[in-house]
Amino acid sequence: MTKVLIIAEHDGKHINGSTARAVTCAQGLSAESVEIAVFAAEGTALAEQAATLSGVTKVLLIENPANEHALAAVLAPQIEVLASEYSHVLAPSTTFGKDLTPRIAAHLGVPQISDIMRVESPRIFDRPIYAGNAIVTVEAPAGIVVATVRTASFSEAETTGSATIEKREVNIELPSHTRFVKLETSGGGDRPDLQAATKVVSGGRGVGSKDNFNVIYSLADKLGAAVGASRAAVDAGFIPNDHQVGQTGKIIAPELYMAFGISGAIQHLAGIKDAGTIVAINKDPDAPIFEVADFGLVGDLFEIIPELEKALA
Amino acid sequence: MPEYKAPQRDMMFVLNDIINVSELAELPGFEDATPDIVQGVVDEAAKIIENTIAPLNETGDREGCRFDNGMVTAPAGFKEAYQLYSESGWTGLDKSIDFGGQGLPYTLATAVSDMLCAGNDAFSLYPGLTNGACEALMEHGSQELQDTYLEKLTTGEWTGTMCLTEPQAGSDLSQVRTRAIDQNDGTYLIEGTKIFITGGEHDFVDNIIHLVLARLPDAPAGVKGISMFVVPKFMVDSDGNPGARNPVVCASIEEKMGIHGSSTCVMSFENATGYLIGNANEGLRYMFTMMNLARLMVGLQGLGVAERATQGAIEYAKERKQATAINGGETIIHHPDVRRMLMTMKALTEGCRMVAYDTAKHYDISKAHPDESVRKTANDRVELMTPICKAFATDVGCEVASLGVLVLGGAGYIRESGMEQYIRDAKIFCIYEGTNTIQALDLVGRKMKMNLPQTFIKEMINDLAAESGNDELGFIVEPMQAALNLLDKTTQWLTAAALEDPQNPAATAVEYLTMYSLVTHGHFWIKAARAALAKQDDDFYKGKLATARFFTNKILPRIYGLAPVIMAGSESVMTAEEDWL
Amino acid sequence: MKILVAVKRVVDFNVRIQVKADGSGVASDGVKMSMNPFDEIAVEEALRLKEAGKAEEVIAITIGPKASQEQLRTALAMGADRAIHVETDEDIQPLTAARILNAIIDKEEPKIVMLGKQAIDDDNNQTAQMLAALANWPQATFASQLEVDGDVANVTREVDAGLETIAVDLPAVISADLRLNEPRYVKLPDIMKAKRKPIDTFTLADLGVEAAASVKVLKTSAPATRQAGIKVETVDELVVALKERGLF
Repeated sequence: MTKVLIIAEHDGKHINGSTARAVTCAQGLSAESVEIAVFAAEGTALAEQAATLSGVTKVLLIENPANEHALAAVLAPQIEVLASEYSHVLAPSTTFGKDLTPRIAAHLGVPQISDIMRVESPRIFDRPIYAGNAIVTVEAPAGIVVATVRTASFSEAETTGSATIEKREVNIELPSHTRFVKLETSGGGDRPDLQAATKVVSGGRGVGSKDNFNVIYSLADKLGAAVGASRAAVDAGFIPNDHQVGQTGKIIAPELYMAFGISGAIQHLAGIKDAGTIVAINKDPDAPIFEVADFGLVGDLFEIIPELEKALA
Repeated sequence: MPEYKAPQRDMMFVLNDIINVSELAELPGFEDATPDIVQGVVDEAAKIIENTIAPLNETGDREGCRFDNGMVTAPAGFKEAYQLYSESGWTGLDKSIDFGGQGLPYTLATAVSDMLCAGNDAFSLYPGLTNGACEALMEHGSQELQDTYLEKLTTGEWTGTMCLTEPQAGSDLSQVRTRAIDQNDGTYLIEGTKIFITGGEHDFVDNIIHLVLARLPDAPAGVKGISMFVVPKFMVDSDGNPGARNPVVCASIEEKMGIHGSSTCVMSFENATGYLIGNANEGLRYMFTMMNLARLMVGLQGLGVAERATQGAIEYAKERKQATAINGGETIIHHPDVRRMLMTMKALTEGCRMVAYDTAKHYDISKAHPDESVRKTANDRVELMTPICKAFATDVGCEVASLGVLVLGGAGYIRESGMEQYIRDAKIFCIYEGTNTIQALDLVGRKMKMNLPQTFIKEMINDLAAESGNDELGFIVEPMQAALNLLDKTTQWLTAAALEDPQNPAATAVEYLTMYSLVTHGHFWIKAARAALAKQDDDFYKGKLATARFFTNKILPRIYGLAPVIMAGSESVMTAEEDWL
Repeated sequence: MKILVAVKRVVDFNVRIQVKADGSGVASDGVKMSMNPFDEIAVEEALRLKEAGKAEEVIAITIGPKASQEQLRTALAMGADRAIHVETDEDIQPLTAARILNAIIDKEEPKIVMLGKQAIDDDNNQTAQMLAALANWPQATFASQLEVDGDVANVTREVDAGLETIAVDLPAVISADLRLNEPRYVKLPDIMKAKRKPIDTFTLADLGVEAAASVKVLKTSAPATRQAGIKVETVDELVVALKERGLF
């Protein structure tokens, strides 16, 4: 009997799109039930959103002031209490899921499978190793399967469902040794979330400076796209870290990925492999990014972006 | 500019499979040179060189050194990189523990120099010249001079130079005119002009220590009247710190073909205070202490530039698509002639590495082995191999750098590719520290009188006999048998011809050195092939064996063009009168 | 205060790995091995804490075959005071690694255990979190900044939404992200000194640790590669192509 529990990722207001991708992964498990657990301080609205995800059979809402911020040390013991009813516990392979899930697995005494990219059977999965340069097919041992889901490998579940919502109390003592202090976001304004966006405009070292990145933002806004960056651009201080796309940043799968001034280091390419269409604009005709781009254009991004904007106007 | 990646796989192959570096740890004083230390040294030196020094190679070439009013400013980043390198202890690797060094074998210093030279040949000269100064002071300096200078030179806090050349005294040091006047207080006043002084002035360190050849007023004429002096840029006070400025000044720096990051200075000694090293009039002998090590180092510069050009060419050839090759390959590495060039580059470079590291190991044995006869034999090998390491590896540097540009075609001729710099840098290696002609004359002259080439030919023939039953090695053993016979015959001819007319060896020395070097490379390629045969499930060893075959079929036969040239002697070289030219 | 830093021997990050044709794994014969780069950052951070007077001793630990001692020597040469080698030729997965580290915690009682956020070979990103769970300690993963103030560590974490700061009571497990620091270059005299620093060796049995049930690798394959598309000459051409796909 396959019964799946998915731990929802949210920011207090919205269920994150990566949760909907984990739901799609769960559907591949031929599960009897796919349930979502929402941990929050006050989570009614969140639970209602989760309930609309197609294929979800039930939403568990665990409200507790301690659950206001997603702290692994606080959430994991609560999930451990719930987990005994399930065959699978999944979370998206985002920093949220990566932080939390191993802690759950260790509490349960089972290994974890990281970054599921394909489901072969309820216990057999594909996952990437060596920055995606090799794929292993792995089998989970007996016991609860605890795993994270590589979000770029699955599309978001539809929102046509209407699962029941059930409030749960988990009456255990929660640790106070870990405290949330603050979250600094780069304030993307109305720009779409990088991991959920259908279009992403990305800049690399070739953009040259923090100020120059404005041309990237400008094109992104005209396209309704999110903004990404290579590690080189982040390390150079052109743009905050949460925009980093690649092996150590975000692994994304937008329909359109436009790379400006990004040479295409292997670690960066690992983050965009699943994009629908990749466009590369670079001055260097030998840049490795052209080897994976569907459309490559050799040239100066500062001349090309205004032309693109003109075409959009 | 191609990025430099230390060829650690090949370095470890040579250290372990060819020269069996672990034997060094058995020598007294080298107990620390265990395999884990060898690996750690190579790993960590590779990191610092790849990340901080190699990236300055191209910018150093473009920017060059600047001269202003006696001061020299090295290219941007050189000073910081030098400080990081010296503060990390790399300059003291093989220096005496008594003066703050690590006392590790010279073989390990050779491996590090291999990377340092390849990473940045111009940069490598600053610590490189200091090595020579240290060695001369260590061997011949008084306790007081050692105590004053050696620690700071070992740690790289100060650098050293070799001040030999004067406008009228280049290859012929008997013409040295710089004067030294005894002040009868333990000091001398040094007066004269030295040219082509590498690192004579720069902005890295607080003090520069010049080792200067000069002549006392009553000295005999010629090389027997040359003495060696220490002349610090700043006088050293009683606390060992730089004090008053000594009047030794940089008058100008040269505009050169290459190694732009290295300052090449005209040094003017204006009654500067100096201290005699050892005995008066024995300076030339002391100079050779520095010179022999310097020659081995220049050989590593040739190896380094060859390695870097080879890396750049292979990388380009794997990416560049141009005309489908006969085998259907899209990139130019599939074109037979491109492949021929790359294999030539690879074979010559790797061969030089084997000879250089093996010579370094013999150097260590010659210093540290408890048995005097073993030390003597090892020293003989170093003596024989010094001109070969210097001249052949630097010839290889030029040949390989030139091929590197050719592999890139038009792109290679463009500065941006970084490849043309290697040709410009490589040329000087054939010239300084004794031109390659001087090296060849040393081989056919002094070294042949000592019977060294003949002895090693016998050794190679004996080694070969041990392989004669090995069918798998037949591909190289048989051609090497023929090659050694021809080399033996040519050597005998040359010995006899020298008695007939001393112009015979003089006119053919360069070709003889090349021939001797090629056969020596063959000797090491047999060892490489033997080691590789045992591990043919690994691409590295497959490549090694393939390179041994290429060497045997395509490079070793060069000797068949050289032998008749040598045995044609000097006659046709010298027949034409001066006016006919 | 003691800091325990866990390091792993992995294929060097510069090596382009090759999947074996028979699907049995990746080729590793003679391949250059190094300390996992994230672990190197963890070692560096521990050393900086010691140099700032916040810790007295830095202990490096690795789990793996005999050759893993090379990576311990690297950690010792960087400045760790001593090292622990848990020697095993078995493939050690994160849960077992966490159990081993937990057993060492009992012996050594460190206040901070530092690890890299993930190893670049299996990319699991689990061991730190699992160890924190087993020890019942706080965890601060993906650290890009660390301030230790008495018995509390304030850790800035690189999360998808930006930079999150949490406070954790010590003892705690902290995993290092890329931008936490830039590891130092090892000094040659320190390589020599490292040779004389002690390495204690244990087996799993010595520590009373049983390997956890493991994830079984059925096969290893090369990833599907994206094919290079076309080069367009002009912006107009690009715009037309994107419009055809409904993307512009």
